Amino acid sequence: MALRDNAIVAYAETKVMEKSDRDVFVLIGEMLESLLDSTGIEKSEVDGLVVAGMTGTGAGNIFWPQTIADVLGMQVGFCEQVNIGGCSAAGCVVRAAAAIEYGLCDIAFLSFSDTHVLEDKTDHTHTYRREWTDPYGLMGPPGAFGLLSRAYEAKYGLDYRMLGKLAVTQRNHAIMNEHACEKLRVPITIDDYLNSRMISDPIRLLDCVMRTDGGAGLLMMSRKKAKEKGLTKNIIPVGYAEVTNYLGGENLVDVTKSGHSICGEKALKQAGLALKDIKSFHPYDDFIIAIMLQMEAFGFCKPGQGIQYVREMNFAYNGDLPLNTGGGQISAGQAAGSSENIVEAIRQLRREGGERQIKDTANALVTGIGWINYARNWGSSAALVLVPE
Amino acid sequence: MSKPLKDTLSVKRNIRHFDFSEPYWEGTKQKKLVLQRCKATGKFQHFPRPVSIFTGRRRDIEWKEVSGKGTVYSYTITERGTPGFRGQEPYAVVCVTLDVGVNFVANIVNCTVEELKVGMKVKPYWHPLDDGTHLCMFQPDKD
Repeated sequence: MALRDNAIVAYAETKVMEKSDRDVFVLIGEMLESLLDSTGIEKSEVDGLVVAGMTGTGAGNIFWPQTIADVLGMQVGFCEQVNIGGCSAAGCVVRAAAAIEYGLCDIAFLSFSDTHVLEDKTDHTHTYRREWTDPYGLMGPPGAFGLLSRAYEAKYGLDYRMLGKLAVTQRNHAIMNEHACEKLRVPITIDDYLNSRMISDPIRLLDCVMRTDGGAGLLMMSRKKAKEKGLTKNIIPVGYAEVTNYLGGENLVDVTKSGHSICGEKALKQAGLALKDIKSFHPYDDFIIAIMLQMEAFGFCKPGQGIQYVREMNFAYNGDLPLNTGGGQISAGQAAGSSENIVEAIRQLRREGGERQIKDTANALVTGIGWINYARNWGSSAALVLVPE
Repeated sequence: MSKPLKDTLSVKRNIRHFDFSEPYWEGTKQKKLVLQRCKATGKFQHFPRPVSIFTGRRRDIEWKEVSGKGTVYSYTITERGTPGFRGQEPYAVVCVTLDVGVNFVANIVNCTVEELKVGMKVKPYWHPLDDGTHLCMFQPDKD
């Protein structure tokens, strides 16, 4: 057995909402219902529950996954919460596969719903922040990405118009995505990006992800079982790797580099693919510059040449390398526990992308970024390679 | 025309210390920058940790005074402050690489937007807090 012996047999998602009109338990229930309906699987057959830990609503509850099992009336042999920030959803896929391989469960429900706008219990007080950044008014992620962007600019130079190009590409995709947050489904230009107000200079409003509410979920089982069940539109995880606290035992870490350089190579090797074989790219996007930094870290271009690469490439759904074809989190809204770009990749590989359908669906590369650590880049990096069955 | 940069000195700060950071804060009472150093490797580390980040051993931690001189590695100008800092905008948060090889995040004072540059030399500016400690900020080092 290996990672590639497992299958994602179904996905579900809600429309992204500025603020949820229903409780998070309702969203989770709707996802389960949709997954059961679309596969014909009975609830009693689902014996694994894997919950993304990136949840503001669930953050205050140390019994969160058990609470969800109880609310849904599920008896499970594997009950897990995956806490690697924005890598959690990708991390859930590999942990569910591992549990299936190990015989802990046969069919796993991966739950990504969150309502962190409606009800946020996130607590950062027992971290470095209270002593080492809050007293200086550093504003969380926008502040950290402000520091990161300035360091990049000082080292390599930065043409902000090209970051604007990425913002516009993703926005155009969100306009075609009926599940994207309605507030964000309005066209923008590069000038709109450049003129959007500064938050933590050089980070502008249109660099930033907007917190939103929403639900998503996946159903996973072994490929063997999927075949027995007659399920045919399966997506196979063929490569995965993650890195947390990149160069954690060193002091001066170049913030333009990240753990993606390690996990990207590892995941592609496991998948048996070269980077040039990748047909679409679905990077975790909390800030626009993170997309470009990941292009460099994965090796789509050399370090420092991200701007030039963006200038030369067309990242539209029908372009050279389709990028976050659902709009990414920045233009669809940050919801559902870091899962949106994974769900979009799965939808595309199943050829259910509608008017934004990618032509070449031989594979997709999805990533995660999680947490912000002190005076560094970001806390976790993940890479997941998916192929259709 | 120089763009004003606020110094945030009027912000009320009540900082909860971790117990393993107390030697740092004790040093600031005398305006001394006292950082953790790993006895096994001779390297400094910041922020304070319960163990050496180089060896994983608690017993390898010692505390040593440093000059606090360094160069600006990066900076961001906050145009929309955190709740306690509203009304202070624009203010700068800098990430300084100290001469002893650690990065230190802080505010900068006595500095305009035009002066603030990656690579500029800085030294500590000690801002008194109500509990007798001082907050380590930075200022241009023109010596």
